[in-house]
Amino acid sequence: MSSRAVRSVWSPALAGLLAIGIAASPALSPRAATPRFFPDDPIQVDDDRALDASGAKEIQGSNGYDFVEHTFLDPGDTRDIRAVNVNTIDEVPDSSWFTNRIGRREMTVAEIVRGPNQRETVDFDDWPIVQEKSSGITPGYRVRDPAGQLYQVKFDPPAHPGMATAAEVIGAAIYHALGYNVVPGYIIDVDPARIVIAPTATTVDLSGQKRSMTRTDVEKLLARGARLPNGKYRATLSQFAPGAGLGYFKYYGTRPDDPNDIHPHEHRRELRASRVFAAWLNHDDSRGINSLDMLEGPKGGPGFIRHYMFDFGSIMGSGSTKAQTLRAGNEYILEWGPSLKTLATLGLYVRPWIRTRYWEEAKAVGRFEGDAFDPVAWRPEYPNPAFENMRADDAFWGARLVARFSDEAIRAIVAKGQYTEPGAADHIATTLIKRRDKVLRAWLTGVNPLTEPQLSGDGSLTFRNEAVAARVSSPASRYAFAWSRFDNATGSTSGTVETSTTEARATAPSAVLNGAQFVSVAVKTSHPDYPGWEAPVTFTFRRVSNGWQPVGIDRTVPPRNR
Amino acid sequence: MIRHRCRLFIASIAILACGLPADAQEREPETRAEALRREREEKATRLTPPDPNRLERALLDLENGRLFERLLSPAEGLYPKIGTITAGSGLAVGPGYRASHRLGGAVDFSAFAMGSIKKYWIADARVQLPRLLNERLGLDAHVQTYDFQEELFFGIGPDSARADLVHYGLRNTIVGGSAAVRPTSWLTISGGADFLNPRIESATDDEDYISTRFDDVTAPGLADQPDFMRYQSAVDVNYREPRGNPRAGGRYLFTYQRFDDLDRNTYSFQRAEVDLQQYVPLLRDRRILALRGLVSVSEADDGARIPFFYQRTLGGPDDLRGFHRLRFRDNHALLLQAEYRWEIFTAVDGAIFYDTGKVASRVEDLNLRDLESDYGFGFRFGNANSVFLRIEAAFGSRGGTHFVFRFNNVF
Repeated sequence: MSSRAVRSVWSPALAGLLAIGIAASPALSPRAATPRFFPDDPIQVDDDRALDASGAKEIQGSNGYDFVEHTFLDPGDTRDIRAVNVNTIDEVPDSSWFTNRIGRREMTVAEIVRGPNQRETVDFDDWPIVQEKSSGITPGYRVRDPAGQLYQVKFDPPAHPGMATAAEVIGAAIYHALGYNVVPGYIIDVDPARIVIAPTATTVDLSGQKRSMTRTDVEKLLARGARLPNGKYRATLSQFAPGAGLGYFKYYGTRPDDPNDIHPHEHRRELRASRVFAAWLNHDDSRGINSLDMLEGPKGGPGFIRHYMFDFGSIMGSGSTKAQTLRAGNEYILEWGPSLKTLATLGLYVRPWIRTRYWEEAKAVGRFEGDAFDPVAWRPEYPNPAFENMRADDAFWGARLVARFSDEAIRAIVAKGQYTEPGAADHIATTLIKRRDKVLRAWLTGVNPLTEPQLSGDGSLTFRNEAVAARVSSPASRYAFAWSRFDNATGSTSGTVETSTTEARATAPSAVLNGAQFVSVAVKTSHPDYPGWEAPVTFTFRRVSNGWQPVGIDRTVPPRNR
Repeated sequence: MIRHRCRLFIASIAILACGLPADAQEREPETRAEALRREREEKATRLTPPDPNRLERALLDLENGRLFERLLSPAEGLYPKIGTITAGSGLAVGPGYRASHRLGGAVDFSAFAMGSIKKYWIADARVQLPRLLNERLGLDAHVQTYDFQEELFFGIGPDSARADLVHYGLRNTIVGGSAAVRPTSWLTISGGADFLNPRIESATDDEDYISTRFDDVTAPGLADQPDFMRYQSAVDVNYREPRGNPRAGGRYLFTYQRFDDLDRNTYSFQRAEVDLQQYVPLLRDRRILALRGLVSVSEADDGARIPFFYQRTLGGPDDLRGFHRLRFRDNHALLLQAEYRWEIFTAVDGAIFYDTGKVASRVEDLNLRDLESDYGFGFRFGNANSVFLRIEAAFGSRGGTHFVFRFNNVF
């Protein structure tokens, strides 16, 4: 509602008083933050390492409870609100959760491919096994290098050599470039003759008893792994994250023992929008259990918690120990609607995904395709509170990051998977590109897609239409601007002047700029295919010594479909 | 209008008052970083350790103790064995133990003992060498003893009457061994020999005991039970996928058995069976047409009879599901079953089925006339590789409606 409209209904004094009251109400403005823009806005870093979190305790995850809770109990805050950890220009500041990489700067293809890895290769032979892998369904064990660093070794399933290992390193590279914390990982070929078992190595038998690990245990593990023609076993070698393990993070609420964790996870932008990335890669196993919290800091001293995305072995059609199921990505494990329809019709109702065809020419490729893929309809294994809360602006933010992955970068990342079968790497890369383009068409167009506003000292406004830049839309036919002076103390606007152009640039009226400390411009975008772009995005600028600094981006977002 | 403005004013004051911080004198933060830090400092005053709820703790304990794995797929060590002993035994529980890859990796050992709510019990121990000759050859030695206290007997033949129902107890000890050769993953040729020590006894002292209505003429073997040696050989063509919950492929099992009466040769006989199963996948395996045909033919030696407790039976949760277990028995049997299974969601399949079959005293009577039949529907709970619970309702038979609750697949 414009200030002019307010005046037409309310007396200025009462309207102002009411506006201040609403702005100050804790229910509507949790941080009671006045003025609207602080001097340090927009913050680029959220210092969530400042307070000591060394008293935090490990949170153990139950797969069964995680399924039950998210399938039946609908945890977390479900309000349709803006992500709470974004800065005033609608971006995610760097934090212990996320470091802006490909979204903030140009990354070379080599840099993207290298991902979190510090080395090109590792010479892991003779590193002793110290423990059998204790969680998950993939066979593996843990080894320690001469420097004492711990690594986890995980094998491919016998019927699909190269599948899970490729998925693991490709996923890690992509999530790292996106900005998440991931651990370094390498593809290795394990020579059984070079396996060494430390005298202190342990395993846990089915009765839950810890005992010494034997050669027979290793042979049993190898029997569940993919044996290559040369007698070796394909595996991933994943470096353990630094610090002390604190379990995992949930996709809702905050850790009650971490003072730095103040933003409910279901309202964190990078967790909501990770639905976009999960859909792109078919990371259906994207749930709290597959995350990691690590306490960093000197032993016995103050520390902070870093949050990791973890375990990418079941993405891109890999199901870790088999090819991914037909249902994965299309439907929750338990989804009442289609289940009851199938039950009631004795199976005559056929879920559409059952008929989806997959390329099955290479064992290293699971079930991964891009033709039937519908990013909006995509589903993880069971509901994820942050994914459920994803709004159009969250999805738009995520899609912008996906758009930064060029065809060249995608093919280079896929090469990191070391596919050897003819056509395998090409299929994965082509499918990723196809799915990327669908992601962009779906989510770059869901809001008025204008970003990167710049207002020069002479009043020239430029901005970027992300949908046009990504070539998922033709240029807009018209941009309409409502220029106003902005009162940073009250959040109100005045002196509105309207202009319009047919290009992604405009000139600010001098009557608005002259003498103003803050100006805002609400931009409506007209496009015959996207009527929703008429909902304005508002850019706010602060006068600085050399011109105008963008300090605010506010999007009008359609109601969330949940 | 004035009244309206007054209301607005009062409302505004109220909202403003609510919006004031608790400590109105506190200085407002001057930067975003300061505002966020204040929130964190405030949280630091009320930290609590993670507190999983009761259900979460319980499920976590189950998972850490690997109880589900020990129940559903025990591979090593001591585990609780839960299931049924035989049709009609009721739920049974007991300890199980498995040790594999012993003595240089070649030997597996397993043992279990179970008792049921109907006082059935069984104990079983076996030593196996399943991985000889690069897993082409397997050897097995076993001992098993059981006591089935309340078996059903309706008389012999297709015309036995439901009203003639009586009970008997069957106690048996089996000691034997077998060898199996697997030239390919889908073909197994096996042979073995067992010593059998069956004994018929009264489990209850009531008037429904078998001898109150039947004698050794109408129930051969009732008067006395010899020891037996059983020799058997089988050819098993099995390319079902997956083995534990087939959605494609078939299984064709040809079995020959020879029972030698070790006492007087009064009850020596031989049996040949053909058990054919075929699974037709529809809609990418999400729908299955499962078909089964079984023919069992037994022949007594000259002057001998086949004891009633070793006759082929039909009726119960695994064949004619609309009838009591062991409802029909005779020397020969024919069974035809068809099921349509459809996936409802990941862990649950639905099924509708039709069973038909008969028993006969003469081979020439094993035809498609006068078949007993039933139909029904049910649900299967499990995963891609196994069915751990089957619930069914069977109708349409002259045996009335029957409900099935079993811890296995039907075939």
